[in-house]
Amino acid sequence: MVFFKHSFLAALLGVALSFGTAAQAQEVRIGAVFPMSGPNASYGDIFGSGANLAAEHVNADKMLSGKLSIQYEDSQALPQQGVIGMNKLVNVEKVPYVLSAFTGVSKAISTVAQRTKTVAVNGGGVGPDMAELGPYFWNVIPLANFEVRAMIPYLVKERGLKRVVLVYVDDPLGQAIRKELESALPATGGQLVEALSVPNTAQQFSGIAARVRDAKPDAVYIASYGSQQLQIIKQFRDNGVTQQLASYSAFSVPEINAFPEAKGALYTTQNVDWTSKDPVTKRFVDDYKAKHNKLPSAYIANYYNAVRLFALLAKDLQKKGKPITGENLLAQRIETKTFDLVGGKTSFEANGTVIAPIQVNEVDGKGGKAVTVAHAK
Amino acid sequence: MLLLQLLINGIQVGALYGLTAVGFSLIFGSTKIFHFAHGSAFAIAAYVFYYLYSVTAAHWLVAALAAAVAAVLFGILLDRLVYAPIQRHEGSFFTVFVASFGVGIVVQNVLGMVFGRSFVAVSTPLSRSVEIFSGVFVSPLAGIAILCVALFFGGLQLFLMRTHIGMALRALSENTELVRVFGLRPRQLSTYAFALGSLLVVPAAILTAAGSGINPAIGHHVMLISLAATIVGGVGSLRGAACAGLLLGLAENLALWVFEPQWSEAVTFIVLFLFILFRPSGFFGRAVTS
Repeated sequence: MVFFKHSFLAALLGVALSFGTAAQAQEVRIGAVFPMSGPNASYGDIFGSGANLAAEHVNADKMLSGKLSIQYEDSQALPQQGVIGMNKLVNVEKVPYVLSAFTGVSKAISTVAQRTKTVAVNGGGVGPDMAELGPYFWNVIPLANFEVRAMIPYLVKERGLKRVVLVYVDDPLGQAIRKELESALPATGGQLVEALSVPNTAQQFSGIAARVRDAKPDAVYIASYGSQQLQIIKQFRDNGVTQQLASYSAFSVPEINAFPEAKGALYTTQNVDWTSKDPVTKRFVDDYKAKHNKLPSAYIANYYNAVRLFALLAKDLQKKGKPITGENLLAQRIETKTFDLVGGKTSFEANGTVIAPIQVNEVDGKGGKAVTVAHAK
Repeated sequence: MLLLQLLINGIQVGALYGLTAVGFSLIFGSTKIFHFAHGSAFAIAAYVFYYLYSVTAAHWLVAALAAAVAAVLFGILLDRLVYAPIQRHEGSFFTVFVASFGVGIVVQNVLGMVFGRSFVAVSTPLSRSVEIFSGVFVSPLAGIAILCVALFFGGLQLFLMRTHIGMALRALSENTELVRVFGLRPRQLSTYAFALGSLLVVPAAILTAAGSGINPAIGHHVMLISLAATIVGGVGSLRGAACAGLLLGLAENLALWVFEPQWSEAVTFIVLFLFILFRPSGFFGRAVTS
């Protein structure tokens, strides 16, 4: 009787183990720490739409031996929440690859990424110091210093707007943009006449508009994000700030492009030719348009690329019979050098940051249009 | 000129803060319920007005009435369905606060799901400032905000002084047991307080939707200001809450004359801290004696 009982338990255990192995073979899971609630939640929706489309394409193409899925955790765009999400993904879900967004969150989770040898990939935060967060932290977005270096010569030389006021959120990204403007403006014959820092929770900008008007600038550079940047634009325009508005890639969201008060604002993004015949870009653009009835933005392309990059690396690892771990993904990225991503063949700098040209876009209040292209490395 | 501009901005912002704070102070003063979801009533009113006026192109008066109905209904239902059962089971002050906080989070997420989680604004020419003289810009909304404060605050004072319900509400804030002795029902009066308090946020909510725009998380900021104004004005003092709202708006804007904008929000809390330190009873609050 005891023998039968033991045999039965052993058989059950065997069945359970085989099911477990089969389940593992069926799924390849990566993580994402995006803001999904709070004032920056709309970014999470935007980033997720690119990542999900890439996962759909990877699964449709059967690129991996197993279904690719993305486990999302809500960061609320706050570092503390981001670390909680990252710890769950790494320690509980055991994912080897995590998508990250926002400079503060990315910097906070980078230490967990280095310690646990998990690859963290940023496609939304643009703080320049994100290039120095260690070998396991990669950026599939060009960082803000490149964006500022492309925008300033355009403002000063092409548009003749020399006196610039900066309104920035006092965080690592805002401070980096201020530092970049302080050096880039004098070098091109411009002048930073005032730099006004605001807390990221501020919602009243009529008083700041008075300070901006008082400085008599030719252009106002806004370094904020989320709902706040829309509030700044509206209240500036309502309160007599008629000068040219300029910003970085945080402006590349549908809300800004359709916002009447933002009409004419300039912003930088990496240069992606949406009409390109390159098969990866074309498929991405066509399928995104079919799904959402509008053109994608650079952010969406970035997170599509982040997931596609994982699939390309994991495919190579599976072909070699190697497990998909953070260490192996890093080694494979260094070995492969160039990747077919949206925008064409893409390569990385030694510090894990993508090399991409920058373009200056103008908001038309209906959906946005590119007016010029300036390349920066 | 910058100083004058900041003064005008401060009065406009302060007027809105005052209206919001008076509503919270009325509820807190009469019912002793820490109604954290007061910010949610503000957000609901703002979104209802935005949806009807900007999306469905309804007349502004219809949209404003609907916003008022929505805010008042929210206040009444919250009192009846959440606070009353907790109080019936003798839940502590803290239990009520946690419940209210939870409702605030739920409302924020529901608004996000229904209206989207980004920023929206009511587009109106009334929010566009005009240069009244060199370097000084004023929008018609500033005048409307001040007019609303005068009308609503004046109306509230009349209601509290001249009507039976108003007098009963004042009595409720003094002594609940005595109110019961006189044959009045504190629970029913509590519902009136919630209805009135929620109604008072409506003009501020509409003017904010038009002036600075809204997002689902706006309730937290509203609540923060209301709480600070209630303490600075003296708990239970409506006049104090209105004056404190105005003071906080002025302080926030005038601080820009000297300090970086980074510090303008901190000024609110420096004012609060100074009051707690040197005049804990607030502007018009009664001194607490043991």
